[in-house]
Amino acid sequence: MLRPFALYRPSTVGEAAEVLAREGPDAALYAGGTEVLLILKEGLLRVRSLVDVKRIPGLDEIRRDDGHLSIGATATHRALERAPAVHAHCPLVAGVARHVANIRVRTIGTVGGNLAFADPHSDLATLFLAFDGVVRLASRSGERDLPLAEFVRGPYETARRDDEILAAVRLAPWPAGTAGAYVKFGVHERPTLGVAVALMRGAGGDAVTDARLAVGCVGPRPQRLPEAEARVCGWSLADLARHAGEVAALAARDVDAVGDLHGSAEYKREMTRVFVRRILLVAGARAAGRDPHEHYPHTIIV
Amino acid sequence: MSAPGPLRVVGRSVRRTDALEKVTGRARYLSDLELPGMAHARLLRSPYPRARLLGVEVARARAHPGVHAVLTAADLTWCEPFYGPALRDRPLLATDVVRYEGDPVVAVAAVDEATAVEALDLVEVDYEELPAVMTLEEALAPGAPLVHAGEPLAGHFSDLSTLRARPGTNICHQFDYARGRGAGGFAEAALTLEDTYTFPRVQHYSMEPHGAIAAWDAEGGLTVWASTQNPFSVRAELAKMFGLPASRIRIAVPLLGGGFGGKTYAKLEPLAAALARVAGRPVRLQASVEDAFRTVRRCSARVRVRLGFRRDGGLVAVQCDADFDVGAYADIAPRVIQKGTYTATGPYRVPNVVLHSNAVYTNTTPGGAFRGFGVPQIAWAVESMMDVAAERLGRDPVDLRRQNLLAHGEEFARGDTPVDGKLEESLSRVAEAIRWHQASAAGRAKGVAVMMKASVAPSVSEAIVRLHADGSASVLVSTVEMGQGARTVMAQIAAEVLAIPLARVTVVPPDTSITPYDQTTSSSRSTTMVGRAVQDAAADVVGQLLKIAAAHLGVPAGALAVDDAAIVGGQRRLGYPELLDLHFGMRGGELIGRGVVAPGRTQAPLGGSTPFWEVAMGGAEISLDEETGAICVEAYASVADVGRCINPQQCEAQDEGAVMQGLGHTLLEEMVYEGGVLLNANLVGYRVPRAEDVPARFDSVFVENADGAGPFGAKGVGEGGLVPVSPAVGNALARLTGIRLRELPLTPERVWRALRARRDA
Amino acid sequence: MNIIPIRSSCSIRVTLNGRPVELAVRPEALLLDVLRDRLQLKGAKRSCDMQVCGACTVLLDGAPVSACTFLAVEADGREIVTVEGLGTEERLDPLQEAFIDHAAVQCGFCTAGMLLTAKALLAEDPAPTRERVVHYLRGNLCRCTGYRKIVEAILACAHAR
Repeated sequence: MLRPFALYRPSTVGEAAEVLAREGPDAALYAGGTEVLLILKEGLLRVRSLVDVKRIPGLDEIRRDDGHLSIGATATHRALERAPAVHAHCPLVAGVARHVANIRVRTIGTVGGNLAFADPHSDLATLFLAFDGVVRLASRSGERDLPLAEFVRGPYETARRDDEILAAVRLAPWPAGTAGAYVKFGVHERPTLGVAVALMRGAGGDAVTDARLAVGCVGPRPQRLPEAEARVCGWSLADLARHAGEVAALAARDVDAVGDLHGSAEYKREMTRVFVRRILLVAGARAAGRDPHEHYPHTIIV
Repeated sequence: MSAPGPLRVVGRSVRRTDALEKVTGRARYLSDLELPGMAHARLLRSPYPRARLLGVEVARARAHPGVHAVLTAADLTWCEPFYGPALRDRPLLATDVVRYEGDPVVAVAAVDEATAVEALDLVEVDYEELPAVMTLEEALAPGAPLVHAGEPLAGHFSDLSTLRARPGTNICHQFDYARGRGAGGFAEAALTLEDTYTFPRVQHYSMEPHGAIAAWDAEGGLTVWASTQNPFSVRAELAKMFGLPASRIRIAVPLLGGGFGGKTYAKLEPLAAALARVAGRPVRLQASVEDAFRTVRRCSARVRVRLGFRRDGGLVAVQCDADFDVGAYADIAPRVIQKGTYTATGPYRVPNVVLHSNAVYTNTTPGGAFRGFGVPQIAWAVESMMDVAAERLGRDPVDLRRQNLLAHGEEFARGDTPVDGKLEESLSRVAEAIRWHQASAAGRAKGVAVMMKASVAPSVSEAIVRLHADGSASVLVSTVEMGQGARTVMAQIAAEVLAIPLARVTVVPPDTSITPYDQTTSSSRSTTMVGRAVQDAAADVVGQLLKIAAAHLGVPAGALAVDDAAIVGGQRRLGYPELLDLHFGMRGGELIGRGVVAPGRTQAPLGGSTPFWEVAMGGAEISLDEETGAICVEAYASVADVGRCINPQQCEAQDEGAVMQGLGHTLLEEMVYEGGVLLNANLVGYRVPRAEDVPARFDSVFVENADGAGPFGAKGVGEGGLVPVSPAVGNALARLTGIRLRELPLTPERVWRALRARRDA
Repeated sequence: MNIIPIRSSCSIRVTLNGRPVELAVRPEALLLDVLRDRLQLKGAKRSCDMQVCGACTVLLDGAPVSACTFLAVEADGREIVTVEGLGTEERLDPLQEAFIDHAAVQCGFCTAGMLLTAKALLAEDPAPTRERVVHYLRGNLCRCTGYRKIVEAILACAHAR
């Protein structure tokens, strides 16, 4: 059961910004409802109005834009899974989208809603960190871009101001030849841990020239692990196969793990080590042209 | 009557009689019913595990437009406000204290749910928090705060007239049983093992949460439509509370969206009835899933077991001391602790036994009945330790069990029903199905576990079969259809005996004003007890038909036979409608058959001899992700001795479901409290098995020797499959890793910790 | 610029089980309540109320959604199929037949959601693998059957094509 509210249906981002400016914290953005309707039903959030941004034309657009993949805030997980632009430029994203929650949530839930809700146990923010994701926020005073790492501040907390709309997230596609992988683990409805990895290699060379490593769900917010990334750089695939454990140990050291229903901080830190190593090996194998079919219980590898 | 020919309907996997309505969405459950003018209720629940109520201010809520009734404990002066099947320790609404997070304090009925919620927003409650006891350790500590200070009144469950509370403590009932030389028997043991195992708080999560709709009529009679597994127990409770004769109360039960024991005994019905009385109109009280988590759960337990073996592996003595955490109100838990502890010796021959268990109050959701009724908690401990014993004795776990199994016809306990199945056959079948004697692949190991469970006794089931003028039949029984397929099975039994097509039989839904008495739909008892009553009632009708035909044909009834809706004798064949015409002298009138199954009290330790023994054995093969601690159940084999499957496909469905539910508490499920508050009263935080958790190889095997006490040699199934799951998986884990876990569920983190502790040691 | 919100009832037109329906709903009305309480379509059930269990699944333009967490106003102009629209009693959907034949129905509370989810899957992939079926059913819980018979029913239906 929902308590009464007024439903705004702006037809442009400008109109939506107008409503938000007027209503302030008494309004909540509504981009799919899979999260916001739940907390409204629970009474955890009480607002006077909902601002439905789903009807804003173009806000669900997924397209190549200036070398980036731009994903409109109201694109659903299902759209992400299927969009040709995603398959062309960030295919791993399509694969991960296929495993978000369940088919009903994927049908209705949106990328923007997911990011703006900032549930720490979610896949997209972690994954997008590995694509140097940047969110575009729009308000009456214009637009601003914010790296995802700065946007997500903590559990259910973002840098979005009450008068701002998350309009899109822009991902930097990995260069050709990059091997990427994503793993999530956990027995609960939402993941206990998610790790995204990318290994970039120079043209023709075997050595890793650059790397991305992002870990999420284990702490208050997803994080990149720069020291672990740096450690991989310069390694050959053989080095990686031999020394992945070192990187994993760095990741486990640096990750900000907190205990909750999903497990203790200690366990999550250890799982970070386990899965960073595993996923590095998967990515390394992919870089070498193999596709290892690793199966672990309660684990999804994309 | 000539000897019965081959069975026509019984023993066949006929379509469920309710399948069509269920696949088309026409099936009606409690939440689908609507009455004109019906109000909708919501409850205000305590946010604290234990607190004194200093003030409850409801004036604003009462004045809110659209509100029909606002109840607090202070308003319930016109009825007996306490209820509970074992102990009447539960108030309709909290009186001076609240005893768990979720204890109802205020109830509102309003024109719709939204208005009821608005009204509750206007209620102000002043609590003074009190120290709470959240665990067995806290509740049993000397000087622990008492969940219940006064002496509660005895409930309506006659068997528990001798409740043994320990005054001044949180123990509301103790169970004791001994035979042979008791603990003295350990003197004969060459090997004695002792250990303690714990079982978590888990919730049924029947997909349909509890619900009730109550309406009072102009003559002061009460009708309650309830999502309940035992309408007659609810009726008894309401009769006492509202001072009504049983005949003035009608409990009608639609289809249930699952029960699993969680809908036994009165839950929301008393509050719905009280609200309806005050509101002066029908009231629906529909729980949410979150409410269900705050309504009932399985009794968690700490079980200390001592096993004594002779050198040759024979069990010589068993001691079991169990503390069951029954939460804030006793519900049926005193009976749970008895039943669970009673079969602590498993299906084994044990000369010396001493059993003791306590039902312990804590400030948590009340514990009650849940599939297995106390047995899974005990079996987890005992069957884990049987494997430890096998290892210590250098024996194969299957062989050690086989050596100790009771034989067919052997006494389990003095005065109780002798063993009614061939346990060795079940054990052989489970070993075969899990391929016990083949080596597992690398990284895998197997475990087995066996169990035996008594059904409820003494116990009564009655049935009426009406053969109508057109030769169709109505079966009147109060078995609740909650998914287990009971209505289909009853129809099959009646169709078989009456020799009419299944489609000509209608099983009438339970309604205490129409359908005859049945004690409860639980304890895997319906096929055996109600089934026999239906068989007898149908046979009663057949007897009448034979008599009518014999008189008409001038031949002895013994020369006649029943065949395809007719009585045949020699060349003559009289169809049922024709016979009824002859009998009544007109087209009209019906034959009424009656069946009563009531074995009564006996000298058995629990007051009645079990109608049958539910025997179930399980074998699991697992693999383990040693780095994460995550277990994968690769294969599972479940063997149930059902005597005879009335409907093999439905037996299989029951058994598969039981195993999956068992995998839930074995690997995943646990209610988590923090600071007195239940953290995961929802399906995001409480993880039940999904389709992906089904073992890749999953066999459900039935032992059918037609030796059950039920109709056609059948006996009960439904609970058993769940019970061996935890110890079978735990034993497999021990055989794989050498690690013996004593605490459920076997979550990845718990297993990982154990692996690490061993590495560090 | 002045955007007027919907504060009270607003009219929506829906194609419901193949038939046009027009009705007025409040903005906070959930589709599940409208279907069950206003339109007397009781097949979709409320259970977890959090989009985990799937008991309230309906098809929205062919895709499964949780009616418990879906605003009725959003259905405007769209096509909704509930279990009542899946087949007729005389002519059941093959999935309904398969669920009966394979004993994939016990208490029935999950059945509507299971059927509709399977319907959407088969529309998308007429011959799914077992893995695909299991993946697609991730959001549909059943506490009675142990799932195996449900998966078998769906696979049987798929293979029957």
